[in-house]
Amino acid sequence: MLSYWSPPHFPPQRLPLPHSLTPGVQVLSSRRIPYRFCWRVIDRSSGFSVFLLAIWPLTGLPTFAADPPAIAAVDNNQAGSQGNRSGCDATSNSFENAVWAKIGEAICLRCHTETGDAADSEFRLIRPRSVTDVEAISRNGEAFWKLARRTEQGESWLLAKASGQVEHGGGEAVVAGSTAWQVLESFVRRAQASDTLPDNLTSDVSLDSSSKWFDGVRMISETQLLRRATLSLAGRLPTAEERASVVQGGAAALDEVLDRVMTEPAFYDRLKEGFNDILLTVGIEDNAETILSYDHFEKSRLWYQRHDLSDVAEEKQERTRWELARVYREALLREPYELIAHIVGNDKPFTEVITADYIMVSPYTARGYGIYDEIKERFKNPDDPFEYIPTKLKALTGRNGKTQESPTGFYPHSGLLSTFHYLRRYPSTETNRNRLRARMVYQHWLGVDVMSLAPRSTDATAVDAAYEIPTMQAADCVVCHKIVDPIAGVFQDYDFEGHLGPRKEGWYQDMFEAGFEGESMPASQRWRATQWLGERLVADPRFAVAVVEHVYYILFGRKPMLPPTDLDDPYFIQRRCAYRAQRMLIETIAARFSETGYNLKDVFKSLIRSDFYRADGIDTASQRPERVAELEEVGVVRLLSPEQLERKVAAVFGKPWGRLNDSLAILYGGIDSLAVTERNADPSGAMGAVQRMMANDVACEHVAADFRRDAAQRLLFPTIEPDVVPGTAAGDQAIRSAIVYLHERLLGREDSLDSPRVDQTFQLFAGIIHEAQQTEGLERRESYYCGGRDEYRSEDPHFTLRSWRAVVTYLLRQQAFLYE
Amino acid sequence: MTRRTFLKHCVSAGLGFATAIGSRELLGAGAADDVAPYDGPYYVVFNASGGWDTTYLMDPKGIDGINRLYEQDEILTAGAHRYAPTAKLISEGMSNEDFFSQYGTELLVMHGIDLSVNNHTPCSRYMATGKLDSVAYPTFPALVAACRGAQSPLAFLTFGNYSATGNLVPMSRVPYLQSLNLLAKADFVQGNERAPYHEPFISDRIERALEDQFQTRVKPSLLPRTERSESMLFAAQSNSKTLNRIVPFIPKEVAKKRLHQQCDIALAAFKAGVCVSANLSIGQFDSHNNNDVDQMKLLPEFLAGIDFLLKKAEDLKIREKIVVVIQSEMGRTPTYNSGNGKDHWSINSIMFMGPGISGNRVLGATDEKQLLVPVDPKTMAIDAQQGIRARPEHIHQALRELAGVADHEYCDQFPLGVKADERFQGFWRSDSA
Repeated sequence: MLSYWSPPHFPPQRLPLPHSLTPGVQVLSSRRIPYRFCWRVIDRSSGFSVFLLAIWPLTGLPTFAADPPAIAAVDNNQAGSQGNRSGCDATSNSFENAVWAKIGEAICLRCHTETGDAADSEFRLIRPRSVTDVEAISRNGEAFWKLARRTEQGESWLLAKASGQVEHGGGEAVVAGSTAWQVLESFVRRAQASDTLPDNLTSDVSLDSSSKWFDGVRMISETQLLRRATLSLAGRLPTAEERASVVQGGAAALDEVLDRVMTEPAFYDRLKEGFNDILLTVGIEDNAETILSYDHFEKSRLWYQRHDLSDVAEEKQERTRWELARVYREALLREPYELIAHIVGNDKPFTEVITADYIMVSPYTARGYGIYDEIKERFKNPDDPFEYIPTKLKALTGRNGKTQESPTGFYPHSGLLSTFHYLRRYPSTETNRNRLRARMVYQHWLGVDVMSLAPRSTDATAVDAAYEIPTMQAADCVVCHKIVDPIAGVFQDYDFEGHLGPRKEGWYQDMFEAGFEGESMPASQRWRATQWLGERLVADPRFAVAVVEHVYYILFGRKPMLPPTDLDDPYFIQRRCAYRAQRMLIETIAARFSETGYNLKDVFKSLIRSDFYRADGIDTASQRPERVAELEEVGVVRLLSPEQLERKVAAVFGKPWGRLNDSLAILYGGIDSLAVTERNADPSGAMGAVQRMMANDVACEHVAADFRRDAAQRLLFPTIEPDVVPGTAAGDQAIRSAIVYLHERLLGREDSLDSPRVDQTFQLFAGIIHEAQQTEGLERRESYYCGGRDEYRSEDPHFTLRSWRAVVTYLLRQQAFLYE
Repeated sequence: MTRRTFLKHCVSAGLGFATAIGSRELLGAGAADDVAPYDGPYYVVFNASGGWDTTYLMDPKGIDGINRLYEQDEILTAGAHRYAPTAKLISEGMSNEDFFSQYGTELLVMHGIDLSVNNHTPCSRYMATGKLDSVAYPTFPALVAACRGAQSPLAFLTFGNYSATGNLVPMSRVPYLQSLNLLAKADFVQGNERAPYHEPFISDRIERALEDQFQTRVKPSLLPRTERSESMLFAAQSNSKTLNRIVPFIPKEVAKKRLHQQCDIALAAFKAGVCVSANLSIGQFDSHNNNDVDQMKLLPEFLAGIDFLLKKAEDLKIREKIVVVIQSEMGRTPTYNSGNGKDHWSINSIMFMGPGISGNRVLGATDEKQLLVPVDPKTMAIDAQQGIRARPEHIHQALRELAGVADHEYCDQFPLGVKADERFQGFWRSDSA
């Protein structure tokens, strides 16, 4: 018996079903779903349902095409999924992709775990250790399946609980009738129709098959990868030797080049800049010396005010002192990132970022701490404000003469966790009670956004009124506070501003006690609380993942994907699949990172070698919308930051543009680490204007100047002279060769002489020359500004200088130059 | 491919675009210079970042120690509005007395908005987007900019606070007024209009070559991100050329107050027709310590900024086209903490004025304990028994309707999930219920 559900805006009617439909299916449902032109057909024997999409009205009667992926997913319908031929095909119907991804992980897992609020529930789930934790997901699937088969008074217990129709600590977790409800309802129907546990609980995407996921994706060549990597890591183009070695040695040679690149000072500048994008500790409102407390550094932190400047002319002393202060402050702000550079540069385990029992100081900052005289012999150049060495502070002594408790006699350094910079950047208040610091610790070092744990409260003000200590008693509050507050307690001996200074009244009693993830911090460890915490953080598997995510952010300019949450998204499965593929990459690199001693350089190399980084295009078969949705996050394709753009200009032209600083940098999407903390990912019209300015100005400054050099010394035009004009075979050939060279140098393109791209550039060049020849009254010299900023103006009788300048302007405005 | 078809394709693929891919036709006219200036309405969101004390502004209490600076019998009124007296308490800025007497007839106030949580990050996101549990949603000014004028070079201006765009439109940050001059004269050496970098015919050829290059790049072999970035870049550069319209409206004097500076930039951009919406913000409202001192300094500064914008808009003859939203991400507790501060409070208020909004009205309420009183969404009357808890999604649904974009495909892409019977009726105009 067949019947069907027709679209809501068409009157219900009986229409013949397509002949190809499997005989024996029975249509049961007429539930309204948010898709038009759909028929829902349910096979009673299996419990599976099919959504049929009509291509209307080509024939007058509906014909049937592939199911919208989301609908197929909603119903876990194997038979209906034929629209996606990518690696996600086989996974779209599993418990993992349908029920687990949409409801289990997103909703149930908040409470139904061993340590969750619903720990006492018989419905206990396991938190997967990774996206490939098949065992955990299978066991969770079994738990769902068992609950789905239970009925009370004819009602599914799973549905009744989820919708809050019976007592449920989580209340109405799933709204009846919603898409999530439909997913559960379908799962329940299937579970109740079969006594056998389904065999497709988990997705079948494995590490081995992940590469298949990139089928149809074109990768850049090894030499292009080399250019992308050297520009990204060191802000320079590859040398001829490096290029030759990669041409000859392939991936292995690239690894060796990367190893050398990661010894260059420019790499460490990039590393420090990248980590500040994440940690933002440069963004301190007051003068940097205020991170050193008055109580402990009263006599040293303002050393520049008393520094002997008797060897400076009196009229210059004030300005010199200002400059001294500026450099000192900058040196202080650099310290956290110098620690990172020291760890990476010396191939130390990156765990030291939060466990190192030392800090980095320069001659200037050492004066601020009052330890310069003790360590000055260790500096190579005591006058260099930015030469940093590792050292330890002695236990701090306050103005009252009391020294902090420390059995070792030293301040208990614990990498960044105990630096005054980090603590100051994330200050506290009497009511915040270090919770911001705790939140940042989770975010920075475990990759957990605790704010995402916060459920919506029905009435937050009523919760406040109903409980004496809501953060310890009200379920809505406890879910976060039992995670956050123990770490907040670890920082109890630091004051609001991040200085060492325990609260006079003692730590708050109306908070969960100091600890980490259910483990209380022993009183004996309080003197070294941040060290105690750091040891636990680096032992947590999430630490390695979080660090890989940081490197991903530095290389790609964006955070890794979050799991999709919009259940009505027709491409939910594709986005979930993409998320899994990326998580697998990150988790694999993280596992290797922790197994091989936490060398951060390995993470950079692994990500650079990854298909996500090397992807450059797609083939025809990958243009289906569902495949496009899968590949949305593939590839770097990153708008260069102001700093990166300046470095790229310097790499290509020999010197930076020099104008993308301060306000123009902010306008171009930069950050100040305080008020503006996220870089623009997309160019606005204002940024488009800056790009035009840059292209005009850089071309203006360099084209005529480059031609003035000997050919062998030129960066832009080593193969052509200004008297070569189009119109002859030899001239055209020379011009095309020059264009190929410019394309490679500026855009990283490996074009042939007759490629369409070269044609376009040639037409621009030749067209300008031609029009100039037809135009009367044009000067025979390059403009004053672009041709003569030095000692003379450049003659330009053939108009070639100005035409080449137009070509360079044109190339500088292209995506291949402005994006990575 | 038409612009609409292209956009639909982008949306279906989950890709947001500030403007259409490709040709001049898709950009709406011939040359980008010919794109018609955006002529309003303009949308301005004023953010009191950090959490304002509503009881020192439009929701006065004066009882049970909620306020220390005035008593209940000192509360003032202006038409339908009740407000806290501040004229004698402030040293600079604009008092409530002046603000409500000047703008009360235009002002719509909504009390008792339930934020559900009380942390800065989720509250900022919730108030700005109407969505608590997603980081993907655009703020209202970004959304309306994308729907109404994405081709404007500064379509969405922001000066801070939560500014997510949902990938629909790029955000523009213009930190200083002088920056506008530079941007407007990008094709001239050091901004000198007598010294163009290129001969005009060369500039024209460069632009045409870029367009040709772009057109031939837009083909299926590109990664989705590359295709998107090509479109965004082409639009940014093309649209940037209309920035020269802003030059006549750049004030010669730079305002001294921080909010006034933001207003000047936004107004110049509005008047030039290169901007749809602006997100203005001043911070430091998070008064956990010495609440009264801080709020009495910041609220007058905030109101003075609003006053500055409206008066200058009047001079520029665009006042009647400006929709103003005045908000903060949260309220502050009805009690003082031990540091004389007030902590975060999840019940909030919001104010509006502008075209399409009937003023001299107060909707919703909080009770004597500063707790929310439910409202009947059909009448907007207080209904403690049968009413609903007003939340930011209700406000944003109403804002989308006010802006005439509620049915736009971008709004479909970011649904607010407000049930049909919970949509506010008669919210903007008392006679439309």
